[in-house]
Amino acid sequence: MTDQRKGSDAEPTTHFGFKNVPESQKADKVAEVFHSVAGKYDLMNDVLSGGMHRLWKRFTIELSGVRPGNKVLDIAGGTGDLARKFSQLVGPTGHVVLADINASMLKVGRDRLLDKGVAGNIEFVQADAEKLPFPDNHFDCVTIAFGLRNVTHKEDALRSMLRVLKPGGRLLVLEFSKPTNALMSKVYDAYSFAFMPMVGKLVLNDADSYRYLAESIRMHPNQETLKSMMVEAGFDRVTYHNMTSGIVALHRGIKP
Amino acid sequence: MLLRGLLASVETGVNRVLRLDSTALARLRPLTGKVIAVRGSSPTVQLFILPSDEGLMLAAEWAADADCTLRAPTSTLLRLTLSKDKSAVLHSPQVDLEGDSAALMALAAVLQDLELDWEYELSRWIGPVPTALIGGHLRSRANWYQQGFASLNQNLAEYLSEEARTLVGEREAQARFEQIDRLKLDLDRLEARVERLSRSLKPSDHA
Repeated sequence: MTDQRKGSDAEPTTHFGFKNVPESQKADKVAEVFHSVAGKYDLMNDVLSGGMHRLWKRFTIELSGVRPGNKVLDIAGGTGDLARKFSQLVGPTGHVVLADINASMLKVGRDRLLDKGVAGNIEFVQADAEKLPFPDNHFDCVTIAFGLRNVTHKEDALRSMLRVLKPGGRLLVLEFSKPTNALMSKVYDAYSFAFMPMVGKLVLNDADSYRYLAESIRMHPNQETLKSMMVEAGFDRVTYHNMTSGIVALHRGIKP
Repeated sequence: MLLRGLLASVETGVNRVLRLDSTALARLRPLTGKVIAVRGSSPTVQLFILPSDEGLMLAAEWAADADCTLRAPTSTLLRLTLSKDKSAVLHSPQVDLEGDSAALMALAAVLQDLELDWEYELSRWIGPVPTALIGGHLRSRANWYQQGFASLNQNLAEYLSEEARTLVGEREAQARFEQIDRLKLDLDRLEARVERLSRSLKPSDHA
């Protein structure tokens, strides 16, 4: 799935949920959503996934193979679930960068990690996944959990991640995907288009953000499409693992 | 996912227990970064343990190489988990260790030496004064029960061996075993003497 880019006379458009918006507006619209939900992001994740997001992230950490002394970049790191664990795994000789394009999310993540005593080997950077401000061949592992679907130009972001990875380094993309079971797909549709906005309204008085979440998940490339996008970007040995009947998939690629 | 959920729950429980020991997490700090793989056979199970000063992380799989691999039948691994003397189980012939075994031995030693300060944990919930009262009460009860059981054990043994004569007493049995041993030795000597006599009564082959 590629973003729609029109001719040179009109501004290219891209999807924002089910709507098409000019590319220049998508980042601002996504930012609005995350500014709105940042304060209760963790609570909402727990409520909406029934705590499953912790197990999905746990599997991501298992497949990261991160070792002491490694350099790890966690893009769209949000409230720092993965970065906290990586900080512990890389130890004092390693380095973790928690990057997020959204200042509110980054602030919540930074405050939360510092409150838990996670410091010393971790850095917080506000950065755009499409134009990562890091040197070439720098990181042993790059992760992006539930962030790629919000990126305007996914191909550019994947190429940028490839650039900052060391040869042999791993990219892990944890993202909502397409359910593999027809029955599960129907239940999931009902859940995400009816229940999620309702909970958003009750907890945050913001149904629109969670309607966007459900729509953006449907617009995100499915497992095979994302795999071929990673291959096209230049990743080698790309594999994916479906979790919870394909509601979420973890893609892994190695920089050759 | 089910296995991961189970491991996450076990991990939370184990780490809570480790925090009850004032030295356990500090002793785990030198093991930070080590990956210990545990592979059980029949049924096949696999587990990765990553110790750190925050406790243990349990993983169903791990993409990097393990520093130490422990292979054993699953029943032996269960015995290892429940056993107080973990070193003895680790040295048994069914257990195969590969790689940096010092990491595993150090982890086993930490788990073996756990001394749980449950009073501290309780005091965080209900305060120091009620904890001291409950602790004192429970300790005196525990002592009373311990003494009661020891006394009951002794009285029952004495009744069965001395009064009811249902069982043979330990000293009596020991004396009887010593008599049997002496008798066995006497018989051996007698047999040797008879053998020697029978040989001396036989006409010599060279005569």
